Amino acid sequence: MDALSAVLQGLPMTIVLTLSAFAIGLVGAVPLAVGLSSSNLIIRLASRLFVDLVRGVPIIVWLFLLKFGIQIGTFKFNPVAAAIVGLGVVSIAYLAEIYRGGLQAVPRGQGEAAHALGLTRGTTFYGVMVPQAFRIVSPSIATYLTGLLKDSSIASTIIVAEMVFQSQSFARQHPTVEGILPYILVGILYIALSLPVAYLSRRLDSRMRKAVYA
Amino acid sequence: MYHFTYHVTWPTSNDGLLVPTRKIAMTLSEIADGKLAPRTGIKLDNISKRYGDHTVLDDVSLHVEPGTVTALIGPSGAGKSTFLRCINLLERPDSGTIQVAGHTIEPGKVVNNKDLAALRSTVGMVFQSFNLFPHMSAMKNISFPQQKVLGRTKEEADARSMELLERVGLKDKANQHPGRCSGGQQQRIAIARALALDPSIMLFDEPTSALDPEVGLEVLAVMRELAADGMTMIVVTHEMQFARDVSDMLVVMADCKIIEQGDPGAIMSDPQEARTRRFLRAVLER
Repeated sequence: MDALSAVLQGLPMTIVLTLSAFAIGLVGAVPLAVGLSSSNLIIRLASRLFVDLVRGVPIIVWLFLLKFGIQIGTFKFNPVAAAIVGLGVVSIAYLAEIYRGGLQAVPRGQGEAAHALGLTRGTTFYGVMVPQAFRIVSPSIATYLTGLLKDSSIASTIIVAEMVFQSQSFARQHPTVEGILPYILVGILYIALSLPVAYLSRRLDSRMRKAVYA
Repeated sequence: MYHFTYHVTWPTSNDGLLVPTRKIAMTLSEIADGKLAPRTGIKLDNISKRYGDHTVLDDVSLHVEPGTVTALIGPSGAGKSTFLRCINLLERPDSGTIQVAGHTIEPGKVVNNKDLAALRSTVGMVFQSFNLFPHMSAMKNISFPQQKVLGRTKEEADARSMELLERVGLKDKANQHPGRCSGGQQQRIAIARALALDPSIMLFDEPTSALDPEVGLEVLAVMRELAADGMTMIVVTHEMQFARDVSDMLVVMADCKIIEQGDPGAIMSDPQEARTRRFLRAVLER
């Protein structure tokens, strides 16, 4: 099957894009989530501005801006770097909002109890707040990851050779009925890739639930 | 277990506050291990606290002698909890001085994180809603702060946690998460968690209010034992029986002030203030 092998050629790139952007988001969102719930007005407003700005503009626009709009000296983003940075920054903004919601959902008494015991702010945050917030938001994070997987297809518009890009070039070379085939295959592949994420997320969730109530 | 009992008479404090004599029982093993932290009292002077235009505490002063139990009662909104939370600086008062466990806190004085942690580990606190960490087992709840605050190793901390769980009658719950424990059990674990840092003062903020009356008794039993061991305690409570039997001093708060304080029996049978009479009638004749 020519169509299948064409689409599969794009699979590694789709996975690389998705996982790199996701990793950037997971880590980068931590300080931003802290900023969003900071008691310092300026930090809070700056964080809020960043999140709303990033989320307010479509991903495709960010990718075009990064790929074609930025030149520092002779440095220009190559398509893959632009896609990873673009999707990564968008992930930071979305995940920060998810984290913030999770941290706010942890009962106030938890922080108070930790402080009353003499735990430092850092220990309270990482030892008490984050583990509980993570349990609350892990399903939302999994949902975001499946969304990101599909959004990575937008990188095809800036010539990143991921699955949708490969489908398009196959279709262009086969202007017959056969040209529709890669799109059907790519759809099935996206579903196939999302399923394990959803499955793992459910398992993680029930495992953590058991851990709390065991 | 062998108990021996001796009597301690605390002198009258310099502001003329009479401190009654009480029995202090300790287990021999506890004395031998030197586990009872040195007793310290609390002095709070002219504490005021406002949130914007809303006054919560209005020039409140209270001296607590070491080794005594003080019951703090009064209608809700009187400022009892806020007052209690000022002692370990969960709330920072706007004015007034706090002297507790060798620390003096004045308004505007910057308390560095090290001193704050030291103060807070000397002052244990038990909350109405228990506030155990739900993602940790009972044992981990008690061991984690010991490791982080006192720098004990896991083995030392776990050994101490086990002792305390046994003391509150919950040894078999060591590996259970709080979600699997009843409210009364959770509150006893919370007491053990606070005791694990070897505090010299324990603050209780309505420890039985979220429990049904029967379950509350098991928590009160632990508190009675603690009082008998000579722990300095301040208890915000609506448990009048406990206040009468266990406390050395009864403090009545209403409208952001202390309106009456003294011997619990005397106040309960013959309150001097009309506001106290009204409140006591409401709780006692329920």
